[in-house]
Amino acid sequence: MNIFRAGKLAVAVTALLALAGGFAGVSAATASQPPTAVTGETYVIGTDTTFAPFEYRENGELTGIDMDLIRDIAANQGFKVEIKSLGFDAALQALQSNQVDGVIAGMSITDERKLIFDFSDPYFDSGVQMAVAEDNAKITGYSDLAGETVVAKRGSEGETFANSIKDEYDFTVKALADSATMYDDVKAGNSVAVFDDYPVLAYGINQNNGLKSVTEKEQGSSYGFAVNKGQNPELLAAFNTGLAELKDSGEYQAILDEYLEQPAPAAASGFFGLLSDSLPALMKGLGLTLLATGLSILIALVLGVLFGFFKVSESRVLRGLASVYVSIFRGTPLLVQAFFFYFGLPQLTGQSIDVLTAGVLTLSLNAGAYMTEIVRGGIQSVDPGQTEAGRSLGLGYVTTMRRVVLPQAVKIMTPSFINQFVMTLKDTSLLAVIGFAELTYQGQQIYAANFRTGETLLIVAALYFIVINLLTMLSNKLDKRFNK
Amino acid sequence: MSTSANSTASVGSKISVSGLRKSFGSNEVLKGLDVEITEGEVVCVIGPSGSGKSTFLRCLNKLDELSAGTVIVDGFNLGDKTVDLNEVRQHIGMVFQHFNLFPHMTVLQNIMLAPVELKKQSTADARATALKLLDRVGLADKATARPAQLSGGQKQRVAIARSLAVNPDIMLFDEATSALDPEMVGEVLQVIRDLAAEGMTMVVVTHEMGFAREVADRVIFMADGLIVEEGTPAELFGNPQQPRTQDFLSKVL
Repeated sequence: MNIFRAGKLAVAVTALLALAGGFAGVSAATASQPPTAVTGETYVIGTDTTFAPFEYRENGELTGIDMDLIRDIAANQGFKVEIKSLGFDAALQALQSNQVDGVIAGMSITDERKLIFDFSDPYFDSGVQMAVAEDNAKITGYSDLAGETVVAKRGSEGETFANSIKDEYDFTVKALADSATMYDDVKAGNSVAVFDDYPVLAYGINQNNGLKSVTEKEQGSSYGFAVNKGQNPELLAAFNTGLAELKDSGEYQAILDEYLEQPAPAAASGFFGLLSDSLPALMKGLGLTLLATGLSILIALVLGVLFGFFKVSESRVLRGLASVYVSIFRGTPLLVQAFFFYFGLPQLTGQSIDVLTAGVLTLSLNAGAYMTEIVRGGIQSVDPGQTEAGRSLGLGYVTTMRRVVLPQAVKIMTPSFINQFVMTLKDTSLLAVIGFAELTYQGQQIYAANFRTGETLLIVAALYFIVINLLTMLSNKLDKRFNK
Repeated sequence: MSTSANSTASVGSKISVSGLRKSFGSNEVLKGLDVEITEGEVVCVIGPSGSGKSTFLRCLNKLDELSAGTVIVDGFNLGDKTVDLNEVRQHIGMVFQHFNLFPHMTVLQNIMLAPVELKKQSTADARATALKLLDRVGLADKATARPAQLSGGQKQRVAIARSLAVNPDIMLFDEATSALDPEMVGEVLQVIRDLAAEGMTMVVVTHEMGFAREVADRVIFMADGLIVEEGTPAELFGNPQQPRTQDFLSKVL
């Protein structure tokens, strides 16, 4: 089954070495400044989540050709790396906003990308290949695609290639974010074929992803390690030097052989095998989900009480302030808010932000807007006669609020608070898009490597279901106990 | 302005209202009221619904803002922004049509809240006072009950006890028996009657004409935001001068 027969590989590696030589002059030019020492430095490297065999997770640890390469080069050159598994698009955005120092994500070196990034010497020679469902006998070449829909990875070489021939062969190209989703799309019959980088496709087929390749590899561009334009020249230089030394020592070839010669067929046995294999990573994700939920709800509560009081205050300015806050965060999608805080804000301020902070900021500001309305509604639903009774006794506004109105309002608000808590917990799953390693993200990691999407998502959903229902039961119990 | 014949020797003006106007948006509810109430006087305010009786009462402790005119209570000018309203309100107890007891507190806690929060009394003293007040309104056995467990008449008696806990020298009653079942009206009126007998200055908005005739030193008849006529109960009920008053009384008596 292994298509990476030694002969083919030898051709690929030879071509790669030739290319590497050809690019040496270019890379020397980009690193023309005297490089500062990288020794002892720690660099944050962004990568894709799901680009097996270049990067994927095995038992919760990131592994793959890119990962081994960058780690070995770091060891060779005496610097440290902190890998951030962000997803391809997110990694590129993070690089542009200087959230990461470099990106290694099986990224093709293109002229467009060269405008915004500085690339290393090429480290892998790739190409695009087409695959269809295993039981599909009709599609054997591009000419069978007339009138059909194919799928390719957004922003990838596969998409570029598919688009370049779609008019000639009369088919439609749909773009998705990762390989596992694309393969499922083909298996589900939503599209008839997938255009993907051949090492990835071959790895997936070796993992029994239910596809078969039907065309020869199109000669494609090469993969490079990238830094932001004009940034970190010393890192780029060190990468090039390290890569050359790994090639000389044979270590480079050993890495390629490990992933391409003997693809690990680590197929878990049955559903319970998958369950026990995936549970440690999922529980780690669940922990982060709960952490983000807890922090966000606490901050949202403070915001909600503050702006809720603004909303019922007599000051037009405070009421206006609260209304603006609520309408902004209720009037825009949470996903857009998450992108804004993680990618947009650093570009505006020049201050980078870590993913937990960005995630909690997004969720707490969003939930805070809903909490504001809950608090306002709760206070306003208390009979005004209660305030009048308190004030007529000579109690001040604050005392009347604290002793008379709020105890009754809290009772009214509690079910809505519990509801918001559950909503926020579920909303944490949206943070997967900015690479926050919560439960959903961990699930994506797992099916990206094993291609068992349905079963993995079932386990993820069950974990959410159990946790949410336990927390809801607990909350209702506390509500009954304290709000008699 | 007539003064009552049977009032105790008046020491001075307790409440002084002049030119009082009140509008809600474009709707003018009080169209210029002038009233003097002396210490110890019991004034009943009667009149048809929508005549402005309750609004007038709520202007006396500024639960409603004044649109124009002056209200001076115990020497405090309520229109003066520097006057501490919370201080003034401790001189004026108010009892509402719908009781407005605090449902999340026991009867005792309802009564103790203001004296303790205002640091007028220690918790122990406030408790003793509250129990004494409950005894006075005939509810000593309901100290630990919740408002929801009480009948309407009992609730209103608790509300009166609560107002008395801050030791006011003026009491305002806003249709205190209107929301009660007929058989409970008597017990509440008895408490008000007792307060009158003790010399409390009171302004009572009421639909109970018999009670007004019996207890009031002076009766004010209001209609359409104005005082139409006022006098002793004997004068107003026995020999009303204004056609508007005659018309109203012919319908309710």
